[in-house]
Amino acid sequence: MPIEIARAKPLVTPDSNPGDPAFLKIRDLIYRISGIYHSEEKLYLLSSRCARRMAALRVTSPAEYFEHLTMRGNRDVELRLLLNEITIGETYMFRHPCQLDALRNVILPQILQVKGLISLKRLRFWCAGCSTGEEPHTLAMFLLEEKDKLLAGWTFDILATDLNDNSLEAARAGIYGEYALRSTSDAMRRKYFKDVGDKKLQANDLLKAPIHFDRINLRDDSKMLFQKGIDIIFCCNVLIYFDLASKRRVVQHFYSNLLPGGYLFMGSAESLFQVDDSFRLVHFPGTTAYWKATPAQAGGGKK
Amino acid sequence: MNAKLQSQLQAQIDKLDSVSTAPAILMPLLDMLRLPSDRIKLEKVVELISYDGSIAGQCLRLANSPLFGRRQTETVRSAVMALGLERVRSMLFGLCMNEVIPRDKWVFAPDAFWRHSLGCALITQRMAERIEYPEPEKAYLAGLLHDLGFLVNSVLYTEKFRECLRLAAEEHIPIHVIEEQVLGFTHCETGQMLCEHWGLSKELVDAVHCHHDVSLLPNAGPLACLVHLSDLLCRVRYLGYGYDEIMGVDLGGDAAWQTLIRAYPALENMDLVRFTFDIDGAMEQIVATVDSVFGARTIAAPATS
Ligand SMILES: C[S@@+](CC[C@H](N)C(=O)[O-])C[C@H]1O[C@@H](n2cnc3c(N)ncnc32)[C@H](O)[C@@H]1O
Ligand SMILES: [Fe+2]
Ligand SMILES: [Fe+2]
Repeated sequence: MPIEIARAKPLVTPDSNPGDPAFLKIRDLIYRISGIYHSEEKLYLLSSRCARRMAALRVTSPAEYFEHLTMRGNRDVELRLLLNEITIGETYMFRHPCQLDALRNVILPQILQVKGLISLKRLRFWCAGCSTGEEPHTLAMFLLEEKDKLLAGWTFDILATDLNDNSLEAARAGIYGEYALRSTSDAMRRKYFKDVGDKKLQANDLLKAPIHFDRINLRDDSKMLFQKGIDIIFCCNVLIYFDLASKRRVVQHFYSNLLPGGYLFMGSAESLFQVDDSFRLVHFPGTTAYWKATPAQAGGGKK
Repeated sequence: MNAKLQSQLQAQIDKLDSVSTAPAILMPLLDMLRLPSDRIKLEKVVELISYDGSIAGQCLRLANSPLFGRRQTETVRSAVMALGLERVRSMLFGLCMNEVIPRDKWVFAPDAFWRHSLGCALITQRMAERIEYPEPEKAYLAGLLHDLGFLVNSVLYTEKFRECLRLAAEEHIPIHVIEEQVLGFTHCETGQMLCEHWGLSKELVDAVHCHHDVSLLPNAGPLACLVHLSDLLCRVRYLGYGYDEIMGVDLGGDAAWQTLIRAYPALENMDLVRFTFDIDGAMEQIVATVDSVFGARTIAAPATS
């Protein structure tokens, strides 16, 4: 979703000094609602996002804007608009390299070891809320690169789902511009894409083969119940728009969709604190994931 | 570690003072580090710094650096005021240790070491405050000192320790695991001895001793548990040993967490993810402080997106 941020000068210059206590309130509100957190040092980011909304509303003080977010009639609309500013169009390939490192170094070896003994040598991944497909294509590249190494003797497939039909259509086409590919190396581009002109690359058949796209609304309980036997779920920057109750529901579904020993990845600034306590939080270098402990492993820490 | 090795080590540690000359300000500085910052007298700090020409010079240089607004600071007093007591004392400690360890014996990259130590100090303190541990300053000091054994090993076992670091980096595993294999003891033990040698309190000595394994002591105190946890947190947030470790940590399932939670139930409600983001937020400042004191030799610290 490459959205360029318009840098037009606002009509009114709102007071967006990040030190204003109202921003702490807005920060906590955003965290409670979306799970996205701005540390003290990152408050300036939040204040500049708010400044854009404040300018649009012609609101000048952060305190007044906080009222818009909490008390006025259309606070839900305003919250959504602010969230749109905060999560602005950031999706591209290889956006979370730390997640892939954690997969390669710790998670997959752990899962392969346990599963290798008992079942078919097959892994199932699910990108829930895959938007225009950057995430599943990245995962596919990563897995294809490991095919003869870590994953020798194993097969895998990726279920990639979204609610938005337009996004899914774009994801199926798999055509990307420089924005989406900015962190993709030349070697990867050559191996997994073909040039379709107009400075665009399209995923080739090799890359598309492991991915299966489908439309799934995460709020659709009957469809959610149907997904079973998943090893790893990615649900990044999706649940931020959900209220607590529906977030809880989705996460509980994920828990039962996963096999014991499976992991759930969320966006890099998202948290399940007080949303769910069935999953165990695990820290990896540069990232965190949520783990469905197997009964045998549930005892203690793993290092 | 067997008794023979222990007594050999002890003799070496006692000799450490003659191998390298500890600056005169080290002992008063360690005393000062134990006090809450509002009980430290500015005059006392200025006096300490003024003792040592090279340290005073470095303080001025830092206060005049772009990081602190490139003030035209000419006196130690105004430099300390510009930098703030908190920053000055950890900086002083770093500068002191830089003098204790001769340049050619710095096996560990100094900036990686200080980032980790300073990071750990800060995080131990923040965590202590979060759970309402009564002495957050002590927590800070414990974090700052916990890996001093690395410096002892650098001075006393330079080549072997270099080998330890190389192997640990190559295999992406924690240094203490390799130390155990190569040296037969770890930085936890040598650090413990140095802290004893300096006459630090038992609680601090214990925290240094068992920071990688709180089960070593039957009644590991809260300080040891705090340091253990923040050491792990630092290592998963780019404030580790300067190389990639392969690790996955379930902090909530860690023995230190379980021990701590019994004495400090507030831990139960601690939002660890949010705390992790706070660390990331503080990291820029830690890195900037360390770089300005120890020169900006860069260590790969990927930008957090
Ligand atoms: C910000 S994008 C995330 C893209 C990608 N996961 C990433 O992190 O780069 C959010 C996606 O969630 C999808 N989404 C929102 N609500 C949904 C729902 N109830 N069910 C399924 N998808 C949903 C949106 O259509 C959108 O494509
Ligand atoms: Fe250590
Ligand atoms: Fe450490």
